[in-house]
Amino acid sequence: MSTSARRRLLRDFRRLQNDPPSGVTGAPMDTNIMLWQAVIFGPDDTPWEGGTFKLVLEFTEDYPNKAPSVRFLTKMFHPNIYNDGQICLDILQNQWSPIYDISAILTSIQSLLCDPNPASPANSEASRLYNENRREYNRRVREIVEQSWVEDES
Amino acid sequence: MSDEDYSEEEYEYEYSDAESNAGTDDVSMDARSQEGEEEDADDDDDESMTDTNNNNSKKKAASDNDGNNGTNKRRSTGSFDSRRRSGDNPNAAPVGGGKFDFDDGSGIRMLPADELKPIMASQIQEATEVLGVSPSAAAVLMREHKWAKERLFQAFFDNPEKIQQKCGVLARCQGGCGGCGGTEGGGESGSSKAAKRTRAGTKKKHCEICLDEDGFDADEMIGMPCGHEFCETCWYGFIANALEKGPLCVRESCPQAGCKELITEEEVERAAPDLLPKFETYQLRSFVETYGMTRWCPGPGCEQVAVAPGSGGVFADAGGVASCNKCETCFCLKCGEEPHAPVTCKDLAMWQEKCRNESETANWILANTKPCPKCSSRIEKNQGCNHMTCSGCRYEFCWICMGNWTEHGANTGGYYKCNKFDVGNEGNDQSDAAKAKRELDRYLHYYKRYHNHSQAQDFAKKALKETEARMVLLQEQNTDTVWTDVEFLKTANEQLVECRKVLKYTYCYGFYLQDAEKRQRFEYHQEMLERFTENLSELSEKPLREMNRTEVVNQTRVVDRFMKNILEYVDNGMED
Repeated sequence: MSTSARRRLLRDFRRLQNDPPSGVTGAPMDTNIMLWQAVIFGPDDTPWEGGTFKLVLEFTEDYPNKAPSVRFLTKMFHPNIYNDGQICLDILQNQWSPIYDISAILTSIQSLLCDPNPASPANSEASRLYNENRREYNRRVREIVEQSWVEDES
Repeated sequence: MSDEDYSEEEYEYEYSDAESNAGTDDVSMDARSQEGEEEDADDDDDESMTDTNNNNSKKKAASDNDGNNGTNKRRSTGSFDSRRRSGDNPNAAPVGGGKFDFDDGSGIRMLPADELKPIMASQIQEATEVLGVSPSAAAVLMREHKWAKERLFQAFFDNPEKIQQKCGVLARCQGGCGGCGGTEGGGESGSSKAAKRTRAGTKKKHCEICLDEDGFDADEMIGMPCGHEFCETCWYGFIANALEKGPLCVRESCPQAGCKELITEEEVERAAPDLLPKFETYQLRSFVETYGMTRWCPGPGCEQVAVAPGSGGVFADAGGVASCNKCETCFCLKCGEEPHAPVTCKDLAMWQEKCRNESETANWILANTKPCPKCSSRIEKNQGCNHMTCSGCRYEFCWICMGNWTEHGANTGGYYKCNKFDVGNEGNDQSDAAKAKRELDRYLHYYKRYHNHSQAQDFAKKALKETEARMVLLQEQNTDTVWTDVEFLKTANEQLVECRKVLKYTYCYGFYLQDAEKRQRFEYHQEMLERFTENLSELSEKPLREMNRTEVVNQTRVVDRFMKNILEYVDNGMED
């Protein structure tokens, strides 16, 4: 079935392959182009360095007029990421624009990792440590990075 | 009205008027720009992507203001004047002008929503002429200022670009050809972006929404005044999706990420003409909700609109009671609730909020049934009267205080005295817990009675529906009676509904009445009204064969007088 959402997702995929942004990868599931898996690599020279964080993106037929639902599969520790992996990011909610594509979504999430928005905490403990005890926060982030390798093997 | 009516003095006068009424936000804004300072970014949206744009326009605006400290007003008044004079249609009357040509002086009017379109149009037309912008931009500017045109005009002439930017019509106003919003026009930044998108070597344009590789011809693209262009198909999808969001669609901005330029009926008309009526319905709805002189009838499914009389643009504190000519719903024009004399809108809102917060406690205490104080059979109250007779043991008691009715009934020479809150004996305990308990008891005292009258009002409303059947029966009992002879029953019942409603709100009023002396006097009147209402309730609920017409008619009259007395009494500030 060819709908405008599916056509657009195919173009997104082509662009992602032809012009891959650094530090992120993504591809639709074999059977369903409306469901994508993606990996964001922790940016170098940050506590997130070396981490491989898996996400799942779910699109509707309203894409790109509506944002996809995006969720981390890997366990995260971040002020703007809920325990169930949901992400609190403006461009995925009220600041969504139909000109965003998958590559824009993934790079935005990648930059959110090192640049949290403490004003909208989704994980209160991460938020508190980020503000009050950066050393402990960084230690917890590195724990998460190490866990991300273990999860990969399983 | 001629142009001369818009002399400078009059506008100066209007400005100072608007200034005193303006919200704090605008007053401070005004002060800042007059001092020629850089505005802080607080009142701008904190969207990082537009920061640069904001800064640019701010600098520009700031430099515009240089050397004009303190003279802004006069200068803008002048520019306003010249605009008015050079307008396309100098003879056009300042339409609307806050006056309602359909107001026949009888007060609140109920109109079908469609009939508000000309009012909205005339308001927009006035802004179009005064501000010298396109109608679509004027509509946005007016909406964003809640249709307070004096406030908008002043802010606009103090710093047009700032207001245009803030309201998302900067490009639409600066583009020059406001009316067409052309694909080729648009602001400078817009056209350079559009140029970038057109890849070198091809005439085809690219749409950033569908990312179609083949590109589009120029006539397949639709542009915003800001210069952002998208293909027709994507535009249609974007607008359809925006309309699905409901009333908020009127504030939808350009599809381009971070662009704050709002879409208007112009874009909808070009890209999705079949959706234009729906969009316009939302525009009208937004108008009714923000205009300040209009309110939707709260009746379920009713689409009538109440329009306040006069030209003040603000509801009087007491508001007025609107009565819908379609669904017969009565409501307070100011707050939309059921008419709630003697209590004010503000106190009523506080009371309702309190009731929501305390509802758990109150509900627990006010379980739907009560045991008979003598034999403990559960009793469910299914009529309005508080004079209860236990069907088990025939004990007569008061539903409110559960005390013996002989201490209440007027026929025994006693008084119906269940409306005063007795502080009780523990009144001297000053500990926090005791205070809190006393406060809760005080609230419950009022809530119980409020709730009770509220239920009694519902019963009386229900009874009103059955009254007609009772009237038929009553007429059949005596062969020589005519319909008008039994109408007293309906009148009595309507009076009951009204009294229960007023009594309900007297408890809300009483709860917030601080002055002890006034409260005493108020409670005296309340007690009288309550007593006579109970009497009427009892008389009119009697079985038909015991019905005494004269008694009911007299009681109805008495009750009506007492109800009006208490409302007048409160209106007059409760001075004897």
